Amino acid sequence: MSLDIVAEIIAKTAHCKIEDVKPDVELKTLGLGSLDTITILFELEEAFDIEIPNEIIPEITTVNDILNNLDKINH
Amino acid sequence: MSNPRVLITGLGAISGLGYDLSAYWQGLIAGHSAIKPLDLQMDDIKMSLGVTVPDFDPNDYFDASEIPLLDRYSQLAVIAAREAVKDAGLTNCVDTLTDAATIIGSGCGAKHTDEATYDQLYKQNRTRAHPLTIPKGMPSAAASMVSYHIGTKGPAFGLTSACASGSHAIIQGMAMIKSGINDVALVGATDAPFTYGLLKSWDALRVASNDTCRPFCYDRSGLVLGEGAAMLVLESEEHANNRGAKVYAELAGGGMTSDAGHITRPCIVGITKAIKNALHHSDLAPHDIDYINAHGTGTIINDATETEAINRVFGDYANKVAISSTKAMHGHALGASSALELVATALAIYHGTIPPTANFTVADEMCDLDYVPNKARQKQLRAAISNSFAFGGLNAVVALKKYS
Repeated sequence: MSLDIVAEIIAKTAHCKIEDVKPDVELKTLGLGSLDTITILFELEEAFDIEIPNEIIPEITTVNDILNNLDKINH
Repeated sequence: MSNPRVLITGLGAISGLGYDLSAYWQGLIAGHSAIKPLDLQMDDIKMSLGVTVPDFDPNDYFDASEIPLLDRYSQLAVIAAREAVKDAGLTNCVDTLTDAATIIGSGCGAKHTDEATYDQLYKQNRTRAHPLTIPKGMPSAAASMVSYHIGTKGPAFGLTSACASGSHAIIQGMAMIKSGINDVALVGATDAPFTYGLLKSWDALRVASNDTCRPFCYDRSGLVLGEGAAMLVLESEEHANNRGAKVYAELAGGGMTSDAGHITRPCIVGITKAIKNALHHSDLAPHDIDYINAHGTGTIINDATETEAINRVFGDYANKVAISSTKAMHGHALGASSALELVATALAIYHGTIPPTANFTVADEMCDLDYVPNKARQKQLRAAISNSFAFGGLNAVVALKKYS
């Protein structure tokens, strides 16, 4: 999955700059809480036409966690 | 058990007449009707008129990060609540706000949020709903958002009784203060009904005018929908006086009944009893009342029935009471109307000025009272009532006294 699109979606929800969304950054340091996380997952589902299972939510701490899970879903 | 007097110490309003209380009151006493052609880019809506908050942009009031959780009805509620709290001089009174109650009425709730989701699912055949649909669109969302943005952490809940929602919220806040649950309550109502689905539903009821709203006139042809919000800060007399608060009026009492009859047609028995109950609860006699802010929707049946009820309660004194319907100016903003109207009533007492019934032509033969046509009237008011008679037969009448 493209970091660019994921970063754009996260930045839109976090109201931050896209360049601030780096792979190892924790979502909470961007000011994102649980409601923001599910909003991001919704936007990703819409953007990539995929289904993201609820089970991955506890695994998501960083941007990389999102990218890794998206890769798993895609393969 | 304590039974303190309850005072109105802060007001806020956003409506078709403007963004704040001052614009609202100036519009009312000028007899300015905010009714305009609807410009909603919805081709097949029969309703052609409405009252919307002009050029409203939520970005003028909220950070971008706050807006996703705020349905339009919550936005209007928070804006009016901020103004009411500021007007009461309580903006920085953290302890007082922490303990205050928040009771927010609404007739139709977060329609914009629901409709956006349903549009995606049913019309665009999308398979997902936005994850904020529930928290943004739940019927208590406005109460939550007001509590969140103002910092009121006492009892908080939404309340709904169609077009009487504001009056019921205000009476509930008064009752909580009188019973000793709270010293301060932030109460009012909000509605933002201009969505495609809701307008189609109102079209089906065939009660909206495509002329204008002319309450009590022979040529009246129905109501005109509006949007807006009005909020009031209520305080126990002791709490208000201890901090030297400005007082608009005493919230003296309320009368509530339900018709248990026709779902839309007003019932003379129910509304007459609601007015009587309000007077009794407030220890007022009919001849103590100098002004009635009428429900006055501009429909044939409401205005005639309301007039008959006033005649029954007030007898020979009925034609000595000034009556006006401010809906001809701010539109019928559903539940928010009853809060807007109580704000108008409180300001009428405070300023000694009665807002008129705008768009008035000639009174209907069934409407034989003094409706203060078109021009505001200077008059010192001892006491006043505000009537709300909602669909579903839910009636609420609020009584105010001049405070001295």
